[in-house]
Amino acid sequence: MARTTSPLGESTKPQRGIKWLKQREQRTGFLYILPAFIIIFLFGLFPIVYSFYMSMFNWRVRRGSFVGLGHYFDIFGDLTGFLMFLAGIGLFVLAYNVWNKAFRSVKAGGFPARLLASVILIAGGFVLTSGWGRMIAAGNSNFLNSLIITLYYALGTVPLEIILGMVLAYILFQNIKGKEIFRMIYFLPYITPTVSTAVVFQIIFSSRETSIANMVVGFFGMDPLKWRFEPNPVSELLGLNLQGFLAGPSLALVTIILFGIWTYVGYNAVIFLAGLGNIPQEVYEAAEIDGANRFHMFRYITMPLLSPVTFYLSLVAFIGTFKAFNHIYVLRVPSAQDSVITASIRIFDSFYKANMYGVATSQAIVLFLVILGLTLVQNKIMGERVFYG
Amino acid sequence: MKKHSYWIFAVVIISAMILAACQQTGGGTDTVDWSKVVPATEITFWHQHSGDRETELLKVVDEFNATNEYGITLTAEYAGGYGDIFTKMLPILNTPEVPDVVVAYQNQAATYQLADALWDMNEIIDDPTWGMPQADQDDFFPGFFAQDVYPTFGNARLGLPPNRSMEVLYYNMDWLNELGYDAPPATPEEFKEMACAAATTPYSGATAEGSIGYELSIDASRFASWTFAFGGNVFSVDDNQFTYDDPAAIEAWQFVQSLFADGCATLVTESYGDQTDFGAGKLLFTVGSSSGLPYYDTAVAEGANFNWSVAALPHTGDPVQNIYGASVSIPKSTPERQLAAWIWLKYYTSPDPQAAWAKASMYFPTRASVADQMTDFFATNPAYATAFDMLEYGIAEPNVPGYDFVRDEIEAVMAAIVDNPTLDVATTLTDFNEVANGILADQLAQIEPAAE
Repeated sequence: MARTTSPLGESTKPQRGIKWLKQREQRTGFLYILPAFIIIFLFGLFPIVYSFYMSMFNWRVRRGSFVGLGHYFDIFGDLTGFLMFLAGIGLFVLAYNVWNKAFRSVKAGGFPARLLASVILIAGGFVLTSGWGRMIAAGNSNFLNSLIITLYYALGTVPLEIILGMVLAYILFQNIKGKEIFRMIYFLPYITPTVSTAVVFQIIFSSRETSIANMVVGFFGMDPLKWRFEPNPVSELLGLNLQGFLAGPSLALVTIILFGIWTYVGYNAVIFLAGLGNIPQEVYEAAEIDGANRFHMFRYITMPLLSPVTFYLSLVAFIGTFKAFNHIYVLRVPSAQDSVITASIRIFDSFYKANMYGVATSQAIVLFLVILGLTLVQNKIMGERVFYG
Repeated sequence: MKKHSYWIFAVVIISAMILAACQQTGGGTDTVDWSKVVPATEITFWHQHSGDRETELLKVVDEFNATNEYGITLTAEYAGGYGDIFTKMLPILNTPEVPDVVVAYQNQAATYQLADALWDMNEIIDDPTWGMPQADQDDFFPGFFAQDVYPTFGNARLGLPPNRSMEVLYYNMDWLNELGYDAPPATPEEFKEMACAAATTPYSGATAEGSIGYELSIDASRFASWTFAFGGNVFSVDDNQFTYDDPAAIEAWQFVQSLFADGCATLVTESYGDQTDFGAGKLLFTVGSSSGLPYYDTAVAEGANFNWSVAALPHTGDPVQNIYGASVSIPKSTPERQLAAWIWLKYYTSPDPQAAWAKASMYFPTRASVADQMTDFFATNPAYATAFDMLEYGIAEPNVPGYDFVRDEIEAVMAAIVDNPTLDVATTLTDFNEVANGILADQLAQIEPAAE
């Protein structure tokens, strides 16, 4: 090994020492993160990789023949349909970009841009629904329908629990008597074991005429409802004749949605309260001097300055609803038929009831990708609107 | 390069772990000379009994531990309900983690056997040293004894039955008298007439409001029971195919559908809600397991306190009763552990422990000679005695892999039938039968050598 010398002809010993120190620092750093790495790898990354490995086999109680991506093809059924579905999503993204960016710099281009975006959006909707229809017809309709049920559940739960959480937090932030007690009461559903509260919901939303839920609707002159046992869409019960996705969730699923909202409103309120505490009081004082009323202050100060919290909560809530399992498992009954079978429940059934491990893991991977995709979309759309002050 | 080396390192680690995870750790038993095997001294038994039944079971276990001549100590562990045990077992099949003895319904045992994970007791049942004498084998009720022999797996014996129960019709005799009847219904027509009369004429002694003829719980066993009562079956052993499109099944479920359409029946809406309503005197009929006899007794005693009993389900020909019950299986482990488990099973199913267990649990014993020891018990428990007399009419649900999944699916179909009075039952069941046989075919396709 050639020995390097400095221009003065001296050895580069100090430089080598620094290099050695840096290496030692690196090694020490790696040692510090090693325990966390092992834990995350073993219990986080490895199961995902292993699930993908299982999904490539005809794996039931034991490993069977290799099927490659066969289970994935079985889920989507029709390649053309799947590609049309992806193309529909692509058109949605394009419409979004056109709407937001393409004509932003052209003064008179606003209207044509929106018109074009609308046309692309309609075309995207058509292509997407056509593709979806083909997939449902040729693929695993049970699993694909469970994704729709999951979407209903997410759309029914997340916006309401965020809005109610914010409103509750805003009220609790005022100087009202006993607000600490209310804060604790609202937080209780979140810390109470899900299974036990779900059982209480079973009783409240029983289809008996004497159940609490039916007594409440009876107070308003309505006939008793079947609640968790009702597989028909709420729209149908309201006398509307809507078909397909527009028909909406069943009453049974709405009952489960109510449970989801009830559980997480208090948690969201507590997080929002922390966010409210970080908004400088001077901003409100300045607005008050400028003549802003309470609504104006909430709309133009509180909401924008809470947007990072709102963004975080909606992101976590959306992911949570797609993974929700415990309370749905407890609240579902055969009478509700497939109307409450979300993707996570379907995966569980494929695994434990049908013993189709390969199918179940492929469904889990698809759900994982769906969550990942929706998170990215949400991140893109909402992330741009977050105001960090 | 460094970045590449990290990736290579990660891939190598993941691959190594996958390969390690793929190793089959199971221990099968090839040909074993059982006369030379010494039973293990510590074994475990996973069961589903809790409360009083667990207390009684532990007494049987204690007696075994104290008296067996091989020094075997059996630890009986409550491992959750049937479903919990099933889900706990699946990931540990063919590993040393399996219990030595486990409770399993026939279809669950069949699923375990897809992984070749249970011990075929034919290997030892006739063994001169450790086997079960022919007289003892003959003492089992033949139907019960045959339930654990699986044609699907080359007639392997994958379990022994320690107890059984049966689906029976619970009825309120005092209410029937008020309605002008002096006996429970024997035919579907009588059943409908009585149920509809009860729906409009509440029982005078009821302690709760409302009046219901019949409450149906959505359960695959209920589907089978009504089908059996109408002279049909949900499975053909000869063809190894589900027969949910059996004309008798269609007729039975058109009948149940009409009960709902005419307002004579409702669904059970809460866990054991039919038991509660029956006890309160607001429900005339319900169909359920005979293992529920003590609970019905309590519900009635604490409720409207009327005269009640059990009968065969209303039938179109001879009565046919749905008999079920979990058996006890021995997962494959080592010859020593398996032998110890077998010794326990022989004891557990022998007449004296059977009699004690049957009296305590209200399950039916599985051996004929046990009845002789239960005369006093029959006298003090007339409903149990009535049900016991119906054992001769019993048949069982299928013991094929995948039946758990089929059960879930048929329950959704049942719900749809009773929910929609205009639903075409024949078409619905014919379509469902294809689904069920598809599931079965998919499961049976697994009975092939696993990939090495």
